[in-house]
Amino acid sequence: MAVGNAWVGTILRVNLTEGTIAKEPLNMKDANDYVGARGLGTKYYCNEVDPKIDPLSPENKLVFMTGALTGTFAPSAGRYEVVSKSPLTGTIGAANSGGHFGPELKYAGYDGIIFEGKAAAPVYLYINDDVVELRDASHLWGKNVHEATDLLEQEVGKFRIATIAPSGENGVLFAGVMNDKNRAAGRGGMGAVMGSKNLKAVVVRGTGSVKVARPDGFLKETLRTRTMLREHPVCGEGLAAYGTEILVNIINEVGGLPKNNGRDGAVFEGAYEISGEKLAEGALVKNQGCFGCTIACGRVTKIEPDESEFYGFGEGPEYEAGWSFGADCGVDDIAAVLKANWICNEEGMDPITLGATIACAMELFELGAIPESDIGFPLRFGDAAAMVRCVRMTADGEGFGKLLGQGSYRLAEHYGHPELSMSVKKQEMPAYDGRAIQGIALEYATSNRGGCHVRGYMISPEVLGLPVKTDPLVTEGKGALLKTFQDLTALCDSTGICLFTTFALGLPELAGLYREAVGTDETDEDILLKGERIWNLEKRFNMAAGVEKDTLPPRLLREELPSGPAKGKVAELQVMLADYYEARGWTDEGEPTAAKFDELSL
Amino acid sequence: MNVKFFATYRKIVGQGCIDIPAPGTVLDLLAEMERRYPAFRGQLLSADGTDKSPEAIVLVCGRHIEHLDGVRTVLTEQDYVALTPLVAGG
Amino acid sequence: MAMHLVVDPKKCKACRSCELACSFGHNGEFNPRLSCVTIFHYEDAAITVPVMCMQCDESACAKVCPTNALTRNTDGLVVHDPFKCLVCKMCVSACPLGNISYSPLKAKVFKCDLCDGDPQCVKFCPTGAISAVDPTEAPDKKQLAADKLKALAEEA
Repeated sequence: MAVGNAWVGTILRVNLTEGTIAKEPLNMKDANDYVGARGLGTKYYCNEVDPKIDPLSPENKLVFMTGALTGTFAPSAGRYEVVSKSPLTGTIGAANSGGHFGPELKYAGYDGIIFEGKAAAPVYLYINDDVVELRDASHLWGKNVHEATDLLEQEVGKFRIATIAPSGENGVLFAGVMNDKNRAAGRGGMGAVMGSKNLKAVVVRGTGSVKVARPDGFLKETLRTRTMLREHPVCGEGLAAYGTEILVNIINEVGGLPKNNGRDGAVFEGAYEISGEKLAEGALVKNQGCFGCTIACGRVTKIEPDESEFYGFGEGPEYEAGWSFGADCGVDDIAAVLKANWICNEEGMDPITLGATIACAMELFELGAIPESDIGFPLRFGDAAAMVRCVRMTADGEGFGKLLGQGSYRLAEHYGHPELSMSVKKQEMPAYDGRAIQGIALEYATSNRGGCHVRGYMISPEVLGLPVKTDPLVTEGKGALLKTFQDLTALCDSTGICLFTTFALGLPELAGLYREAVGTDETDEDILLKGERIWNLEKRFNMAAGVEKDTLPPRLLREELPSGPAKGKVAELQVMLADYYEARGWTDEGEPTAAKFDELSL
Repeated sequence: MNVKFFATYRKIVGQGCIDIPAPGTVLDLLAEMERRYPAFRGQLLSADGTDKSPEAIVLVCGRHIEHLDGVRTVLTEQDYVALTPLVAGG
Repeated sequence: MAMHLVVDPKKCKACRSCELACSFGHNGEFNPRLSCVTIFHYEDAAITVPVMCMQCDESACAKVCPTNALTRNTDGLVVHDPFKCLVCKMCVSACPLGNISYSPLKAKVFKCDLCDGDPQCVKFCPTGAISAVDPTEAPDKKQLAADKLKALAEEA
């Protein structure tokens, strides 16, 4: 394991206060111990930043990190991670994105970038192989993602571009960093951290190479895994044909599609209208892939002006956004969902948090807790036009949109009902009801970045039967299973490979690719242990940051589902938590012990 | 009883759901669907015809048949069934 | 005559696996700028086109080469001999399709050689957007047009 084998060997350190740029050698020990991207980015961050830091202060740092395999032809290996403390949750924030930006950074000769301080005026970072400089971005400030990307392309040429929108400039707590226009490092507000530093964008062009340690072995592993993906029913067919929105109907069938902020259960009669099937029948123009991807789940979508008032053109939505702007707001108009999602792409906002925040506002309004005068118009469940208007207002930071931009927890707290925020650690839970699918409730409660499904995707075993079928209504065995999923996900995210490959690939395949790329003979178990190390590192940061304990909104713990296959169920969190902490080797209070840290060489 | 179809199955049937007299069991239903819609052949039943295909998801009243009696789950007129190929998202 | 490559932009998903496979196959490293095939993505039209050497019958690159480093072999392939090549880059200018490339990194001129009969771009393309065909057996477009007319006549 050495520089030149998968790694290009250099980290850029950019001090925005001083306007200085330094190139330093990659810390190879940490690269080996923490794999890359999410793991390595978090390690660099934790080495340098006090967990108590104010995320939006100049003293905070922001890390962009590629994975060990990013830029190679391992399947779907084009990802990078943006890491900082999240202003939304106060936890470690790590957001993963695809597209073509990550590989380009590596071709330019950099495994990652560390941003420090705060620029006096808006700047962007220009990287053209060896030439790295900070440039004035005052003319880009206030421009949305698509406008800024187009302007930058006119200015610098064919570069890969990651940028923020006014949402990030103005401190929307769930503003993302967007690259290649529509790819998002979406959750947790990494865009707000970037904006707080007066850093508008990073543009990169690279002409160098990425090499691997054992080319013959790597070719063999790559062909094997790419074949597995192409032949798999999910990765080879389903995701390409229908995208992630294909999940809407089946999740609704098992009674797990939260409706109206979860207030009215989790069976949505309008599910078909916002499903992947419906999308494929009309608005879908074509599917599209990220760098090196055999799956191509991306949707290019369009609504003509004569079809709906919500006409437009763009990408998406994913299943999560289909739910948040759809079922969660009681909206069954696919055009409105598309419009809301397109605005989120253009304006760099996390559609899960925004949709769920609007749903929360709808419940508060119907409850009488928000006066209509605060909003400017009635905001009831099912009102598609009002939903889209709220999305626009949040992007523009206009009126009530300012409050929506703080997320559902702060909104609900402001109006005296924090219990109506469907969030964990102040981040909104996504599109699966934890009462109908018990394991995902445990994942929400224990995720290191607050309410999140992609830290341990329990839907895979509980609903889809991958790799084994477990009963969604049962709590037994979920703790240990979730631990394995979380560790494997931490590993996958850190390699630079897309998590979606893991519907078809498992530890032996990920470990096989990793071994040949970096040149190690570590066993599968050694490599999975790195995933567990990453998880515990994140947890240690959260403990030091003073993050609240693992729990769920009272609605999931106490309000029984009123209908559907899971009627009468609540999330049985306590029993699952105990199993989970035991599987993790943590205390009954959910804290890793010194012995655990030693075992993981933390 | 009502049978719903999702994803590619919906295309095969040409509509989202059909009403049919309840066959005895899930296995009977799957065999019936393969007879009625030739494009289903080899997709719903396992190769030997004694189980469901591993690439099909079968829900009876919203419950996976794995957690009921498998393909021997008895169907009544009041039940509803959803059939979908293995899909995923997230 | 040997195979040639045909592209179907409708099938291309813009993943650039072909660029990586080409670069790796010829150089043992990953670098889209060392690839003989390049993907062009038209965002507004949602269309992506892979572009690579078409092995032209009237090869401008071969005609302009002062040292005969570019010649047509018995398979009909325009091959590049790096030992004869001066790296003068005349061929780069001459090719009207831009399919001869120069790498400052490697200080070399390079072009598609169909990977000795096993084109890696074809092998790695997940959707079949690039395929290798025997020109004598390539799908006859007249036949396709006739099929369409037949279908129309049947409908009428």
